[in-house]
This record gives sequence, structure tokens and C-alpha cells, in this order.
Amino acid sequence: MLEALRTRLQNRQPVLLDGPMGSELVRRGVRWRKHGLLTDADKVEQLHAEYLSAGADVLRTNTFQLNPRIYLNVFRNREHMRHIGAPSLEGLTPKLLRTSVEVARRARSKAGKDAQVAVAGVLSPLEHCFRPDLAPAAEAARREHEEQARVFAEAGVDFLLLESMNTIAEAKAALAAGRAAGLPVWVSFLLGPEGELLSREPLERAVKEAEQGGAEAVLVNCAPPQDVTRAVGKLAKLTSLPFGGFAHLGRFSPPSWKFEFFPQFVESESWPPSRYTDEARRWREAGATILGACCGAAPDHIAALRGWLGSNGRSRA
Amino acid sequence: MSYDPIRDKLERRETVILDGAIGTEILRRNVTWEDHQLANRPEFVRGIHEDYIRAGANVLSTNSFQLCRRAFSNHFRDDAHRHHIGATDLDTRADKLLAASVKLALEARARAKASHPVAVAAAVTTLEWCFRPDLAPTAEQARQEYREIFQVVKDAGADLVLLETVNSITEARVGLEVLRELGLPCWVGFVCDEQGKLFTGETLAQAVGTLEPLGVEAILVNCAPPDDITAGMKQLAPHARVPIGGYAHIGRFDPPEWMFTDEYPPVRYREVAAAWKQMGARILGGCCGTTPDHIAALGALR
Repeated sequence: MLEALRTRLQNRQPVLLDGPMGSELVRRGVRWRKHGLLTDADKVEQLHAEYLSAGADVLRTNTFQLNPRIYLNVFRNREHMRHIGAPSLEGLTPKLLRTSVEVARRARSKAGKDAQVAVAGVLSPLEHCFRPDLAPAAEAARREHEEQARVFAEAGVDFLLLESMNTIAEAKAALAAGRAAGLPVWVSFLLGPEGELLSREPLERAVKEAEQGGAEAVLVNCAPPQDVTRAVGKLAKLTSLPFGGFAHLGRFSPPSWKFEFFPQFVESESWPPSRYTDEARRWREAGATILGACCGAAPDHIAALRGWLGSNGRSRA
Repeated sequence: MSYDPIRDKLERRETVILDGAIGTEILRRNVTWEDHQLANRPEFVRGIHEDYIRAGANVLSTNSFQLCRRAFSNHFRDDAHRHHIGATDLDTRADKLLAASVKLALEARARAKASHPVAVAAAVTTLEWCFRPDLAPTAEQARQEYREIFQVVKDAGADLVLLETVNSITEARVGLEVLRELGLPCWVGFVCDEQGKLFTGETLAQAVGTLEPLGVEAILVNCAPPDDITAGMKQLAPHARVPIGGYAHIGRFDPPEWMFTDEYPPVRYREVAAAWKQMGARILGGCCGTTPDHIAALGALR
């Protein structure tokens, strides 16, 4: 991992993540096909650049829920995909992953922040993030995550962020895959309405497994801000690793036919940057050092968090 | 207006022209597929229907592919999770959009004032993903959900239901049974493979045997490349007594969108449809990737 980032974490200084890519790109009118990486790479890079200007210490690749399954799932099987699918679908996802890293690294480079900002390769559940019942068996998860992790390693990410992990088994498999690919790994769990993992497995066991698997940080995400507040309070008691969270703002508004996660959130205006910062303040008070924002947020939210944290990393009163 | 003039045409052994694609046509006109554009751009959707009427379509299929309550609820763990983080209108959004899809097709018909008969078919497909029969709900669950969907489109004024891209005989049977209770005519279109079989491995002969006694008005094959539709027609034609038909997709599925190719320009598509007519097809139309020009070209086969 980037030395500057590791030092900050060791010193328990705050690390500021960026905000969401998908929901913000969709809000800006980017047509959601291939994560915009083929048709709108300039807009993806622009958003990374805005998060950098807002003061983010970490850029996350625009790869949430991007893996071969999201394409294969809408066909009868692989043969059917070859029969009626676009020829470009073969080998598509490694290509998109590489592009996502190039775009993030280019934005960082242009901002002159190669030494200060880390690029995190984002891995997420192989099936729909809100459907833990669909999670693949551990062995398949391990194999498929490792394929993705190796692409990220070769493309030059600084570490892996496992986002929105909805079951312990898949988080473990992805963590082992990331380590096998030689990358540091942070694990972030998706919270259900009960305050545990979406699978209803206890956060306590999830944290223990993440620690045993060699995670360098543990987070919670993809839940409303108050839910993150409660979970961060638990993390403080459960782990000695650096921990934190990033909440989604507003309500998930899925599309009318697609299977895979479509990043559209509505009513996000109920969480303007000042209100979000007030909530994140409570995470910091509980001891969290890694803060950011999930779906529904925008660069303004990250700028507001940076304004409160201050540029030297010491929180202002 | 009702289904009667269309039934009469079929009984006179005339060719009935079904419309072409609407979902991919929206994309081809460089508009996104958000909420089927039923809420945001109704006049745009209605305009495509009008184009198909002008191209000579006798049956308009509504812009409602895979539109059902399940399509939204599938994106959440369960009701508790949906209520916790989902948009607040998700329990009613599907029904509202479905009703809107029928209304737009009815409006297009009223505005186009065509001299030929035009019926509005509510397009309803498998409750789960059309290419994945392994995901299908149980028959009882499907019955309950179809009842809700069909009641909505009936109340909205649809003349018939086109149960399309169906991937199992069970789901077709259940849908047909519900439609009989409601008194709505039903066409069933099956997606078929290169051998002309259903994705479950069932045959079209078996489908005919199950659906004809239940009063199906027509059986079709759709949502496969032209050669596969030809293969399906070969299986269907020797067994069916009800009118049969077909509509193929052209181009390539490039999820979540469509890749348009020039492999089947309108004239070539008409040639392949002419072969289906030779085999006994009386209903001809177009699936994903086809355009009003393709439908206009089919007019020569009347």
C-alpha cells in the first residue's frame, strides 16, 4: 500500500475516502452501460478529479458489481451468450477493470498527487449486493475474486477494497483471493436493517474472520448514516484494526428490468453535506479513522468532510 | 375496438402484422431505458407506437417487457430491507407503469386513425429473467403474480395479452388459465433454441398439446435469431391448429443494451419472414433490434 496512507493509519490519523462513482455518474446523465468505462471514460476521470479536488486520500475504481457474472447471468448459459450475445462480451470484464484503474491513476497523476493518494481496486459481491441468498459457493467465490484481484494487481492498484460484502463466506474468500494476488485488503461489510450483515450474520463474527484473514482495515457501508453510526460504535469494541464507514444517502431506486445493481438513489437531498458531516463526526468520536460516502453522495460531501477534518488530518473542533 | 377484427383476419387465413421492437428502438433513438421511459418520456414512447401503426402493424405490443413488481423487489433482500432503504413507491410503481404502457398504446391508436384494424396487446413476459427458466417461480406463485398483472392491463383497456419470450410450458399454462378467468384473449410466444426447443428442453409439440385445449388464440416463437425462429416454426407448424407466427431478434444482445448490426436489413428480414409464412405462419413481426422499416417491409407479405 501507499506508504503515506499506511503511516496515517498507523498514527490513527483520519483517512478520507472519495464518494460514489456509479450513482453520481448516473445522476450526471451518464448512460449506464459497461459502467460508462467504454463510452464515457472522460466523465469517469472528471469525477475522480473532483473527488481529488475535494480532498480525498483514496480513489476507488469505478468497478462496483463489475464481474463476468453480471453479463453471464442474463443468458441461458455461456453457449447462449456466444450464440446471441455481442462478440465483445468475451473477455470484457478484465478489460473494463484495467480501464478503471488507468482512469483513476490518470486523474491522480494529473492532479500531481501520486505520492499522497492511493488508488483502491473495488471488489464487491459477485452476485447482487442486496441478495446474500444468491452468493456463490466459497470455492467459486475464491476463484472468481482471485481472477479479478490479479487483474487489479497487474494494473497497479495500491490495495483492494472489498465493498458491500454481504456474507462472511464471500468476504473471507475475496480476502484470501486479494492476499494471494499480493495486495493489502480492506474489508467493508454491507449492513442489513437489523444492524448486522445483510445476511443477518453477526458483525462480531465477520470482524473476527476479517482480522484472521489478514485484513488491514474493517469498515461498514451501503446503509443509511444512522445505521453506520450504530455499527461503527460496535466496530470500536470489536477490533484493534483501523476501522470506519461510508453511508449511502437517500433511497435505492432500482431499474424496471435489470438484474444487476443499477446505481440510482433518490431523495439524497435529505442529506446535505453539513448534515452528513455532523453524522460522520460521531463515527470519528467513536474512534473511526476511515471516513467516506457511499451511493447518493457527491464531491460536495467529501469536500465538507475534508473541511471539518482539516488538511493536516487533525479534526477541527 | 377489441380483438375481434384480428381474430376474423386470422380465421380468414390472412396475415396479421405484429409490431417490431420497442425497448431496443428506444435505445436506437439514443434515449436511455430508465423506467421504460413510461414516466419521463411518454410522448416519445407513444411516437414509436404511432410509427409502427404507420408501418402497417395490426397489433401493438405495449412497452412493458419484464415490468412487474418482482422486477423491483428482486433488488432487495426482502420486504424489510426494501422498506428500509428502497424508494417509497416500489410497491405500486410496476402497476402504475404497466397501466401507463397500455394507455400510451391506446392513445397512439386513437391519434394514428389508421384505416387498418389495430389491437393493443399487453406484452407480458416470464416473471423472472426470460432466458433463465431455472429461476422461474412456482406455478402457484406465478398464478398469483400474473393475476395482479393481468387485472391491471385489463382495467387499463388492453384488447389481448401477448405472453412473450416464455421459457416454460408451466408458466404459459398458468398465465393462460388466469387470462381465461379474466376473459382476455391470449397469444403465447416462446423463446426457442437452435433446435426449435424451449429452454427447458420441452418441445413446441408439447406446448401445443397443453395450450390449445385451454383456449390459446395463437402460438408464436420469438426472441431468437431468424434461423432459430425458422427451426421453431418447423416444430410448431405440423402440430398447431391455432394460428401460429414468429418474430425474431436481429443484432446481438449486449447487456444491458443492444448491439445493432446490418446483418438483416428490412428486405432480408422480409425474405426470412416469407419462409415462415410458407411454413404456415399467419402472424409476422419483429423482436429486439427490428425497426418500423422492418415492419413496413413485412407489408408485402399480407
